[in-house]
Amino acid sequence: MTERDGTAAERDGDGDRHRVELRWRGGGTETVRAAAAESVLEAAERADIGLPFGCRTGACATCTGRLLSGKIEHEREPRALKTDSLADGYVLLCIARPKTDCRIEVGTDVHSDLVTNPWK
Amino acid sequence: MSDTESSESGAHEHHEHHHDVEGPGYATPQAAIEEAERETVAYVPSLYVGTDVDAPDFLSVVDVNPDSDTYTEVIDRVEMPNKGDELHHFGWNACSSSCHVEGLERRHLVVPGQRSSRLHIIDTKDRENPEIVKVIEPEEVYEYDLSAPHTVHCIPDGEILISMLGNEDGDLPGGFLELNDDFEIEGRWDPPGEIEMNYDFWYQPRHNVMVSSEWAAPKTYYPGFDLEDVEAGKYGHKLHFWDWERGQLQQTVDLGEEGMIPLEVRFLHSPEAAHGYVGAALSSNIFHFYEREKEWFAEKVIDIEPREHEDWDMPVPGLITDLLVSMDDRYLFFSNWLHGDVRMYDVSDPSNPRLADQLWAGGLYGPRHPTGEDDRPVVAGPQMLQLSIDGERLYWTTSLFSTWDNQFYPEEGEKGSVMLKADVNPRKGTMTLDEDFLVDFGEMPNGPARAHEIRWPDGDCTSDVWQ
Repeated sequence: MTERDGTAAERDGDGDRHRVELRWRGGGTETVRAAAAESVLEAAERADIGLPFGCRTGACATCTGRLLSGKIEHEREPRALKTDSLADGYVLLCIARPKTDCRIEVGTDVHSDLVTNPWK
Repeated sequence: MSDTESSESGAHEHHEHHHDVEGPGYATPQAAIEEAERETVAYVPSLYVGTDVDAPDFLSVVDVNPDSDTYTEVIDRVEMPNKGDELHHFGWNACSSSCHVEGLERRHLVVPGQRSSRLHIIDTKDRENPEIVKVIEPEEVYEYDLSAPHTVHCIPDGEILISMLGNEDGDLPGGFLELNDDFEIEGRWDPPGEIEMNYDFWYQPRHNVMVSSEWAAPKTYYPGFDLEDVEAGKYGHKLHFWDWERGQLQQTVDLGEEGMIPLEVRFLHSPEAAHGYVGAALSSNIFHFYEREKEWFAEKVIDIEPREHEDWDMPVPGLITDLLVSMDDRYLFFSNWLHGDVRMYDVSDPSNPRLADQLWAGGLYGPRHPTGEDDRPVVAGPQMLQLSIDGERLYWTTSLFSTWDNQFYPEEGEKGSVMLKADVNPRKGTMTLDEDFLVDFGEMPNGPARAHEIRWPDGDCTSDVWQ
């Protein structure tokens, strides 16, 4: 379970559907509503919003996002994230289910936080 | 080519192979050299995974016929039905190893998604306008507790073998998946658990051997390269030698510190040869492997020294990411993806490679505009190689793997890959960059794409095996 500070409204959500605000680093936001059994990626796809993804099983990290506020639950072990990345709020959107309203940083830039060039 | 005839590899001591029936491919490597026509189109997996382009990956058909009006252009794109695949390596349903199987054609490409574990079957009957005819969905693959398909080789009986790098969860162990000639999953080729890590493989039927190499668990290499993972022992350094007929592991050779991350493995093409090479990417060494009295050995024969770079804190390894052997078994070519050079070695004596020539294009030390200052820049180094069957034209692309590209050459995601070519003179042992040849994958309709492995319709130096 990953939790970030959020507003009261974000913590309460709206029944079992939650508002998920997707924010791109280059600017731009979109808001989607995710049903209880839906991952953030599925909710975005249903709204015709393209997010990066690969394996859809939490192994590859292509879909990495960063939770800015709210609470999500990974439906299975997020294998592609190291413990410290999880602690820093990184989430795998293909297996992340919102438990409250959330704000999440998305896009391919987020993934590049996870690994740096080891020779530089 | 008389000097190779006397070589230890016996490259041209072909056994007469009598065929009662007609099948795909060529009777011998020498027949391939003599009978194959010049390549006119190249198939190149092209991808958007790991970029902000919201579109599926595709297979490019590149015009490599210099007499054509569309020379060096992508003349057709076969879009995948889904996004997120990361097309990577691919292979034919049939090659010269199945030249005895009547009715079989070298016609279908098996194109896996490295991240999605989805397998696409593409019909190239119309070679300039291929089309997808079947898709095996990831769930069907996961049923065999396998994921992350990598190398595809046709095998002598008309079936297809695919190395799989992880289990259903992207963890270890990997294994091998077999497809039948109707492109249905036949099952696992190997007893599960014989090996932990998997990557590339190549077989040599007359020696009843298959050799496989090691990358890492998908969950280790998918997110990008981390030296801590190397220190934690999560990357491979072993070669595995298998009993080809039984599908059982017979011998494992540990290459040690100097053999970190052994990727592409290539046997010499002569079916009589019990010699091959593997490139260890991280330690940047080439190992020669060979059989002696039923035992396999591997010896380091080429060592690429790391180099200092003003913008980098530590000496940079060459990072040998691909190698291939010419069809006449005389030359070994390989790429140093980080340094930015392609090397050509004379391997007439397989255990003593001799540097024949070297050229630079892109990478950290090569020219950024190798084909002319007005041409678009090359933003990564030489990577996947392919050689014409006659050994006179060497082509390469520049993308390694989307996350690793983003780490080492972040510009590649913005500008896309290129495909370059060198003219090779096998008689003199030289390479010359063809400054008139540049395929720009930065100029694709949906945005810049990465480009990976290269294959010709009539077989090539990394897919044909002889029985």
